[in-house]
Amino acid sequence: MTEIVLKDVRKAYGPVEVIHGVDLNIESGKFVVFVGPSGCGKSTLLRIIAGLEGVTSGDVVIDGDVVNSEPASERGLAMVFQSYALYPHMSVYKNMAFGLENSKMPREEIEQRVNDAAAMLQITPYLKRRPRALSGGQRQRVAIGRAIVRDPKAFLFDEPLSNLDAELRVTMRKELAALHAKLGGTMIYVTHDQVEAMTLANTIVVLNSGRIEQVGAPLDLYNHPQNTFVAGFIGSPRMNLVEATTEQANGGIDLVAGLQRISLPAVDGLAAGQNVTFGGRPEHIEIVSDGDGDIVATVDLSEQLGGETYLYCTPEGMPQMTVHQLGQLPVERGQQINLRFNRSSMHLFDSSGQVIANGVGQ
Amino acid sequence: MAHETPVHSDDLSLGDRLNAVAAWPVRVLFGLLDTPFRALQRLLGIGRMPYIFLLPNLAFFGIFVIVPLIINFAFSVTGGDELFLSERPYVGGEQYSYLADCGSYLDPQSCREDRFWRGIYNTVVFVFFQVAFMVLFSLVTALILNREIRGRGFFRAAFFFPVLLSPVVVALIWKWILLRDGVLNAGLTSIGLDRILFFVDPTWSMFWAIFVSIWAHMGFYTLILLAGLQAIPPDLYEAAEMDGTRRERVFWRITLPLLWPNLLVVVVLALIKAVQIFDEVFVLTGGGPGTATQFIVQYIYTTGFANQVQNFGLAAAASVVLGVVLFVLTLVQLAASRRKEDG
Repeated sequence: MTEIVLKDVRKAYGPVEVIHGVDLNIESGKFVVFVGPSGCGKSTLLRIIAGLEGVTSGDVVIDGDVVNSEPASERGLAMVFQSYALYPHMSVYKNMAFGLENSKMPREEIEQRVNDAAAMLQITPYLKRRPRALSGGQRQRVAIGRAIVRDPKAFLFDEPLSNLDAELRVTMRKELAALHAKLGGTMIYVTHDQVEAMTLANTIVVLNSGRIEQVGAPLDLYNHPQNTFVAGFIGSPRMNLVEATTEQANGGIDLVAGLQRISLPAVDGLAAGQNVTFGGRPEHIEIVSDGDGDIVATVDLSEQLGGETYLYCTPEGMPQMTVHQLGQLPVERGQQINLRFNRSSMHLFDSSGQVIANGVGQ
Repeated sequence: MAHETPVHSDDLSLGDRLNAVAAWPVRVLFGLLDTPFRALQRLLGIGRMPYIFLLPNLAFFGIFVIVPLIINFAFSVTGGDELFLSERPYVGGEQYSYLADCGSYLDPQSCREDRFWRGIYNTVVFVFFQVAFMVLFSLVTALILNREIRGRGFFRAAFFFPVLLSPVVVALIWKWILLRDGVLNAGLTSIGLDRILFFVDPTWSMFWAIFVSIWAHMGFYTLILLAGLQAIPPDLYEAAEMDGTRRERVFWRITLPLLWPNLLVVVVLALIKAVQIFDEVFVLTGGGPGTATQFIVQYIYTTGFANQVQNFGLAAAASVVLGVVLFVLTLVQLAASRRKEDG
């Protein structure tokens, strides 16, 4: 079991700093997912932990030891690459055994470990094949097998599923979760796909422009985003975020956006005359009858998926919003609908994008 | 059926009008070129048209390659010193048996045509050392140039530059350096050493023939190997690093096997080129001292054209022998590149 700690880690390429002082504690045995848009520094951070990139300043601590100057091979970590990085001229068996041969392990033990890992990953029939004779999913299993046989302190995954088709990605996602449950080791997983992050992680680390925006359990991030970036990034389809100003109203506060006015109860930290951003997830917006709604919107497009319906609609003076409804909802383009935000799931952010409240009453 | 919207001249911009005027002669020219091909197509059918387009190149290839090959072979089975085939007597395989008449193939002096066997012997020595060191130096240079070193672009250009030079220029540059009063000897004498008569000593002559040839051609092979090295995904090296692989093991177990197809192509190409060696060494040493650096192609040239008695038949027979060797090497190269494509 391995604990990995990053202390004020910074990374610069020449004058350009790409990681701006990251502090992070990765607990032993956890499945931690680094998630963020392209270029946010998640892969760089993973490579820093792996030892494939050095830090400009700060410390990488593995099990209490600062490993900044230790090469990748000395850190006891195993990495699964996005491209699988299998040696094309070696058989599957050789690919898995190569790292163990480097450490001069007895041949019987190498054989035992490779066979055990192959059995676990169901790739035993392919041990004599070359990687080019395998499908994408099988190659991915070999890459994972190569990591498993080394019995590493922690597993590092760099977008391992991004080269697979959608169906296989779902299957491999489940297998990875099962693998973590079985092996129980510390796993750090990089992805830009927030569905992968939500389904696999014990802890999600949301990164943006080389900084950590929020760290927490998947549902914690979903329910209690600390800023508009996390609110917009976590959840699919993304949260509807609307800029508004606040006005004093009887017994509460009104949010005014365009021609729309939404009445809220009094909220701590929210005063009249503030510029704010309010957010509501598509699944937390209800379609209600005339007079019961917060806003009136015109339907631009409806996507009928059978079991659920997505409506893309534009309230007057506001940006387009997405509304998610369970079941089938016969709505015509151009039809006007009344929408109401579920107050307990409504999010309010100040002008700098930091949270004021996650949930504003019932 | 789709209808094109008619474009009225009023709708055309000035640029379009100018383009239309400029395009008129081109349209007329294309029309003129088109007419005979359309007529041919009507006559032969569309299926045979590709052969019409291949014909000029085939004719060119035939006139300058196939026909000379046949003529050369015809000369090799004739004797005498007449120039025209019709005046030369047919001697069958006599020229070949004359070339092959040897007491011991390992001792050129025991052969009737000892200069031919001396040429072969010299070529074998030259090819062995030139190809071995050429591949070794090219590989080492490519490995270094593939690293993140300062001035990498400059060094890549510098190593490739000799490839752009004419062989005669290469030889003259080195002759200027290596002659009795050349730059190198001036350097040696300035530090108190004796001058060396490089082109008088057979070993030195062969050394410089090999050296200059490697210097002139190494850039090309370095480029092929560099391309091969750059095609190896960097992920593999990172995976090897994570696997705790030592640097020399990375080279032997990852770099070399993945570079092997390129290396094979380089070896075979260098081999073919080395067997054909002539111009650089001919200008540099003239084949001397004596016959110390006279290679097979030079033997063919002097026998056929430079000797007082021009023995076309013998030169043609030696050419056929060389042609067969090169053909075999080309087959090996084709097989190697096909394996690379499959791999």
